[in-house]
Amino acid sequence: MGKSRRTVQIVILCLILVLGGYAITTSVSGSNGKPKEGDRAPSFELLGLDGQVHTSDEYQGKAMVINFWGTWCEPCVKEMPALQAQADKWKDKGVQFVGINVGEDQMTVDNFVRQVGVTFPIMLDRDKNSVRDYGISPMPTTFFVSETGKISTIHIGQLDLDTLDAQISQLAKQP
Amino acid sequence: MFQNTKCECGHQNPVGTVLCEACGKPLLEETAQSNEVLEMRYDGMARRSQRSNPNIIDRIWNFFSSVKIAVYMIVLTLVGSMLGTIYPQESTFLNIDPSVYYKETYGQLGHIYYLLGLSHTYESWWFILLLVMIGASLVICSLDRVLPLYKALNKQRIRKHLQFLTRQRLVYQGSIEEAPEEWIKKAVTPLRKKGYRVHTQGDALLAEKQRFSRWGPYVIHIGLIIFLLAVLARGLPGLNLDEHVAFPEGEIKKIPNTSMYLKNEKFNVEFYSDDEVPEQFKNLNKTVPKLFETKVVLYECTADCSDLSKKPQLAEVARHDVRVNQPLNYQGLKAYQFDYDLTPTIRSVTPDLVNVKTGEVYGSLKIDMMDTQRTFKAGPYTLTVKEKFMDFALDDKGEPKSKSPSPNAPAFLFHIKGPDLPEKGIQYLYFAKQIDKQRFQQDAINRQLVGGELPLQLEVDSMDKVDLIQSVSYLNIRVDKAMPFVWVGAGIVMLGLVMGFYWHHRRIWIRFDDERITLGGHTNKNWFGFRREVAGILKQMNLEVDEKSLDNGGNQA
Repeated sequence: MGKSRRTVQIVILCLILVLGGYAITTSVSGSNGKPKEGDRAPSFELLGLDGQVHTSDEYQGKAMVINFWGTWCEPCVKEMPALQAQADKWKDKGVQFVGINVGEDQMTVDNFVRQVGVTFPIMLDRDKNSVRDYGISPMPTTFFVSETGKISTIHIGQLDLDTLDAQISQLAKQP
Repeated sequence: MFQNTKCECGHQNPVGTVLCEACGKPLLEETAQSNEVLEMRYDGMARRSQRSNPNIIDRIWNFFSSVKIAVYMIVLTLVGSMLGTIYPQESTFLNIDPSVYYKETYGQLGHIYYLLGLSHTYESWWFILLLVMIGASLVICSLDRVLPLYKALNKQRIRKHLQFLTRQRLVYQGSIEEAPEEWIKKAVTPLRKKGYRVHTQGDALLAEKQRFSRWGPYVIHIGLIIFLLAVLARGLPGLNLDEHVAFPEGEIKKIPNTSMYLKNEKFNVEFYSDDEVPEQFKNLNKTVPKLFETKVVLYECTADCSDLSKKPQLAEVARHDVRVNQPLNYQGLKAYQFDYDLTPTIRSVTPDLVNVKTGEVYGSLKIDMMDTQRTFKAGPYTLTVKEKFMDFALDDKGEPKSKSPSPNAPAFLFHIKGPDLPEKGIQYLYFAKQIDKQRFQQDAINRQLVGGELPLQLEVDSMDKVDLIQSVSYLNIRVDKAMPFVWVGAGIVMLGLVMGFYWHHRRIWIRFDDERITLGGHTNKNWFGFRREVAGILKQMNLEVDEKSLDNGGNQA
């Protein structure tokens, strides 16, 4: 009689372990949802300025610089040329730049992008889904994501060319 | 330590058995010698998992199987829950930064509270761990006890050991002159009348009723497990949603994390008039809303839902006037009135293109603030939007810019081409709001842009041409699909409580040793009622017994 009873015990203990583990991990990871440095970068699916839908999967395996911005936000506008310069510099070295515009319409973004001469991909987050996922409050906010998809740094506020360069060099060096 | 678990009746009992499974004789040395009332818990059966040489799995199992440990865990959980109520939890606020909020609002103590993680007690790993452990304990405790108890009650020997009878809490002994078999046969009728199921075996008898009440506690446990699992399941995607969403009047908006869209068709608010408001409120100089309601239409996306480059196709599924305490409820998706904002914002303007000299109207153009059309045709003229500024301002260099994304001061820079205009066309800056036309001197700017008098003008002749979003209604969208299971669990708990509280399991054993009759009785509660019932039955058998004399002392259930 011992054998079947032992299996029942093991099955029940395993079930408790699985359910309990699930309960604890979801409650701990889902408590406030705001990603921190070292966490996995949330995935995104957004309409690009080119009219195509882009997902984060497209850029898998690449280090990424994700910049949240708006045309009305002065520091965002000021840092845009620096971002573009860096995007050109790192283009062939496996660093992908993505600009996520927060809540504005196609025309506004289009005009701005043409004026400034931005060539790296710009996405429109009209419903602020990614803003929610990334927990953005002030703008600009820039996420530096490593090749493995982990957030290495979160920069809040205006970036300048030098710190940007230093940060990306660090990012590119990371395995 | 080797322990002989074989009873003198020949039955081999498992380790930990207190009373022989077959005849009921006390097995442990120290209890066998005494004359105290027997411990009848689980009918003296061994708990299922008791072993003479436990290994690691047995040890874990026994840990959860212990009622003592379960009580400690429940007490710890209660203490934890209490700690969580000292200050409001983070989840009760919509938009706070807890790292500063608690310090600012509740001082240093509040900050310590936050640092200890008590500001999110009910989501913390240790609290969930306690709940999981209580759940484990519920399952294991029940399994370990209910199966032996079921076995014990299902296969009861009718003739029990004499000591088992004399050491019950209710005992009667006496002499009978009748033949034992005859007496037993006669006793069946009065016992049956009282609702007992009677089993006889020669000169021994077992009468039992309402055994099902013994399962009450285990039914409660099943209910609690369902309850806990339902609460756990709320974490699964799609089962729980709690969002606060702003719905501007007249707009269809997606409800996040669902395929549903909601349109706020009309928002109404009524305020109490001055004579309706009590004195205390008048002095506060506050308007008090009497009613606020949002007329909503709920849509479900039927096609092109996830493709962002296409417009989703929507089908209306529900319509409701959402008021406080009267939420929209569509298949478990609920929308509660939460807040409102009566600041109007501009959605679109439809000005006419007018010849300044002749006053001739060439046509009108509908300018939306969001997703503005790029080019318009008005009579022979073509107008192209070159730039738009939602919140017009000039920067330090005197360049136009937008200082926010909200249409507070919307302005549009048009390029107009057509007859009587220079080859390259003209630039024309248009402010949607009358007040901004004056504030930023629209006409002066335009004269400068053209380099002379203006040939054309965009004009709005009535307020009908201005489409305003009158208000924004904030709704709390909730989905809680686990709730029915929570109720089912709670219902089962209630059923178990009723089973255990309102019925009592009563058993009477009788055996004869020659002319000497011995009666033992056991119940799990209401001994007084049980004694009276037994005395009544004995009286019908012509045995006058004082109720109190049946009491054998002891207070073990």
